[in-house]
Amino acid sequence: MQKLYSNKLVIFSLVLPGLLVFLFAILAPICLSVYYGFTSYSGMGQAEWIGWENYKTLLRDANFGRSLTNSLLLAIGFIFIQHPIAIIVAAVLDKLQGKAEGVFRCIYFIPNVISVAVIAYLWKFIYNPDFGLLNNALRALGYQGKINWFSNDTAIWSVLVVLIWHGFGWGMLIYYTGIKNIDPVLYEAASIDGADQVSTFLRITLPLMKPVIQVNVTMAIISALKQMETVYLLTNGGPGNSTQFAANYLYQQAFKAFRYGYGNAIGVVFIIICLLVTVFLNKIFADRQPA
Amino acid sequence: MKEKKTIGSAVKRTFLWVILIAVAVVQVFPLIWLLDFSLASSNEMFTTGLLIIPKKIQWGNYVKAFVDGHFLLYLKNSILINGLAVLLVIFISIMAAFACKRMKWKLAGAVKTLLLIGMMIPIHATLLPNYKIYNAIDLTDTIWALLIPYVAFSLPQGLFLMTSFLEAVPVELEEAAVVDGCGIYRIVFGIVTPLLKPSIATVAIMTFLNNWNEFIMASTYLSSPKWKTLPFSVLEFTGQYSSNYAVQFAVMSLTAAPAVIVYILLNKHITKGVAMGAVKG
Amino acid sequence: MKRKLLVTLLTTAMTISMLAGCGSTASTEATTPAADTAAEETAAPAEETADAADSTASTDPVTLKVFSNLPDRKNGQGLIEQMVIDEYLAANPNVTIEVEALDEEAYKTKFKAYAMDGMPDVVSIWGQPSFLDDVLNAGVLAELNEADYADYGFVSGSLDGFKKDGKLYGLPRNTDIMAFYYNQKMFEDNGWKVPATYDELLALADDINAAGIVPVAMDGGDGWPMAIYLTDLIVKINGTHGDIVSEAIANADFANPVFKQATELFAQSAQAGLFQTGYDSQDYATAMNLFTNGQAAMFYMGSWESSMALNQDISEDIRTNIRAFTMPVVDGGKGKATDIAAWNGGGYAVSASSEVKEEAIKFLNYLYQPDKLSKYGWENGVGMSAQDQTAYMSGSETELQKQFMDILNNATSVSGTPINDCGPSVFKTVMESEIQNASNGTTSAEDFLTSIGNACK
Repeated sequence: MQKLYSNKLVIFSLVLPGLLVFLFAILAPICLSVYYGFTSYSGMGQAEWIGWENYKTLLRDANFGRSLTNSLLLAIGFIFIQHPIAIIVAAVLDKLQGKAEGVFRCIYFIPNVISVAVIAYLWKFIYNPDFGLLNNALRALGYQGKINWFSNDTAIWSVLVVLIWHGFGWGMLIYYTGIKNIDPVLYEAASIDGADQVSTFLRITLPLMKPVIQVNVTMAIISALKQMETVYLLTNGGPGNSTQFAANYLYQQAFKAFRYGYGNAIGVVFIIICLLVTVFLNKIFADRQPA
Repeated sequence: MKEKKTIGSAVKRTFLWVILIAVAVVQVFPLIWLLDFSLASSNEMFTTGLLIIPKKIQWGNYVKAFVDGHFLLYLKNSILINGLAVLLVIFISIMAAFACKRMKWKLAGAVKTLLLIGMMIPIHATLLPNYKIYNAIDLTDTIWALLIPYVAFSLPQGLFLMTSFLEAVPVELEEAAVVDGCGIYRIVFGIVTPLLKPSIATVAIMTFLNNWNEFIMASTYLSSPKWKTLPFSVLEFTGQYSSNYAVQFAVMSLTAAPAVIVYILLNKHITKGVAMGAVKG
Repeated sequence: MKRKLLVTLLTTAMTISMLAGCGSTASTEATTPAADTAAEETAAPAEETADAADSTASTDPVTLKVFSNLPDRKNGQGLIEQMVIDEYLAANPNVTIEVEALDEEAYKTKFKAYAMDGMPDVVSIWGQPSFLDDVLNAGVLAELNEADYADYGFVSGSLDGFKKDGKLYGLPRNTDIMAFYYNQKMFEDNGWKVPATYDELLALADDINAAGIVPVAMDGGDGWPMAIYLTDLIVKINGTHGDIVSEAIANADFANPVFKQATELFAQSAQAGLFQTGYDSQDYATAMNLFTNGQAAMFYMGSWESSMALNQDISEDIRTNIRAFTMPVVDGGKGKATDIAAWNGGGYAVSASSEVKEEAIKFLNYLYQPDKLSKYGWENGVGMSAQDQTAYMSGSETELQKQFMDILNNATSVSGTPINDCGPSVFKTVMESEIQNASNGTTSAEDFLTSIGNACK
């Protein structure tokens, strides 16, 4: 057994496909990015080595700063708007029995399986001030003005709403599963103690859900950082870079502004930021877990 | 006293229903709106009402969407590419998980960590260099240009889930197999894999959901219609039918339909799969 | 009689030298009388078609990849392009043509991605520094033989933007004029008049807003139409455009007060409600649909959209009532009403790395035979090509076509390449995103001009 399980050749053959995929699709492009990040390569012709120049430019680039701030805003929005609603809805759904429970759960998740391409275009129409659903709904409620949902100040929040709407089912489902896994005995004990539902939720459900919340918060922050597709189609970073995100920005710089080298420098910094944030989040959550 | 309590709980119950229904309306109404206007004619869009009853149901919108949107071709491509990606991810992740979890070698932990790092890398940061690489070795506009990154970025999650599920598989079964003279490959694919069935379902669902909606890589790496995936129906239509909104709505409904229908049919299994993945993740 | 008049008009129109570059100032100069060459040209295509048939009869199958910026293959320019492709396929049975078409922004992005390594054989290009400089420096386009096109009837000067060091790398498709399209019937019904001055335009916008209609539909989500608006205003304020713009870009300094005045005027107009709510985030199609569905009274766009008049997707009472006027004069400005924003922009080229370069060039030449793109374009109301179209006048042109012809005919000067396309692509990218901020008041005119100046360094 021991011999069989330490056969180097067999081990190698088992991990080889995984390693190859990793080397070819993740490590190699990152190395290439690091190289091009040090050049002034425009995307065509010859690449010229310019040292740290791109990174110096990046430090002063207000649009990149804006991208990171936007990611932060998005993460805050997820954590303080989407997740509380998702937890409450999950808790309420848990109280429901029978068929209705399944039906609602199904309905909430539907937007999640629809392609971002459809979602982004759909919301472009929903937000249109002249014939969009949202302004028509407001008009039906008596408000006559036209609201510009994509002004420099409001656009980022409008993007957030779309993302919350699209990802709601996923977050809800995870909380729902977490709640379902709570031992019913604990609830019985609480009701014997005479606690009402709200205090049961606050004193039992929430604390027990801590690990689930931590996972969900980590995922929210990461997905806020990595945001690209929805923004790419919905606003493409506009108006005036007010909804810019790192991934979209590097794409624009490389393929629109002929700054492939600079785009790669953004990519490298972007990867480092993602790694640091993930490690940091894991660390603070791991530290707390045992206690 | 007792009566008061039932009234109280009736109010509470109503309140719960109101919350649930309100959220359901918010989640689904935009889709109903989409469906509604996809059956109208284009100039009926410019109304102040929320929903309309089309003067004449325009099935023609869907015919245009179906034909000019290359619906069948792109759907086939989407299913094929995603299907292959799922198979590869499952296959590779089971092997790697077994090697890292069960086999005895010094670097097991290090290799596992290395492979899991992929989870932290933002997929879009590899767009630029990957484009360069695929061009250099003539992979652009082939199925590999999508398969490779799809597999690469779903693999870490797959590996993570497989290793945690593998812990629950009793070692005794393997020991018995070794006694019977089975080789490692037989053990991995003949004994362990069938036991991992629920986790395979989870990994399959997660991988599928991750990649089904992807279009940035597809639109960067592909150029001919040969391997284009379903989101392209929508992307191409906004240019092709820029002056006809109703047809655009039809193509959006049409491309959304397969995933929604499959989800509604398999909703119990998918929910279970996602839930399992979530708890482990 | 009517036909003859039109011929004369167009002939004169074509004598205006169209500017492609940014450096020189426009002037009216006499070129070869177009009427003379017209006869020769109609003869030429016939020979060439015969040649083509001969040489291809025995050749092996060839696949040409065409990358186009015209995704709508059923209307306007895309339809014309497809018509010529279909004809070419019929005449050359051994050839297969694969078209990949994306709309402009997506096209330019993908083009740059392609330019890195290996492009399709025939591509759409723009004869403007922002686009072509990097492309030509990288040497990805095949050189064309200018002498081949001596009798193709290209308007004098229209090839200049497609040249580098005297060598020709592409051919222009259009002569573009920027204008306000307006709905004549809506104007008449409401008693609105075509504005003669910029102040009148703003006053008109107030009236239209009061009637609950959008005054001007603007594609502000893409920055370029707003940059062209700025060019239009610079022309009206300063009288000329190319000279001060190229100077500013060369010195990376936009301190010239003309720029500030134009930017502020533009921002004031936008903030006074000249455009639809949320114009700065809406795309081309959204803006155009507002106009073609009667939600907006005007639409600021180039002459290439004059095929709206024949687009069956647009309801008849709107499409037959579309007319156009150019930017009205600005009070105290040096520019006359007849100094217009016009240029030769889009066109085609062949990839230098094409494995079927010969066939690609043959196809390119076929496209530009005067009785192909140019003729069909004219007959389908698409707008003006960069070639002499006098031979195809029928008198049954749309009102819009006639209007644009008159505008060009009466022009005393043209702007040349719009401001955003005069500098390097970094300048273009920065300008097109910053102009959104400048228009809606997020940044001041000074800050806007400083940031586009910095982008030139």
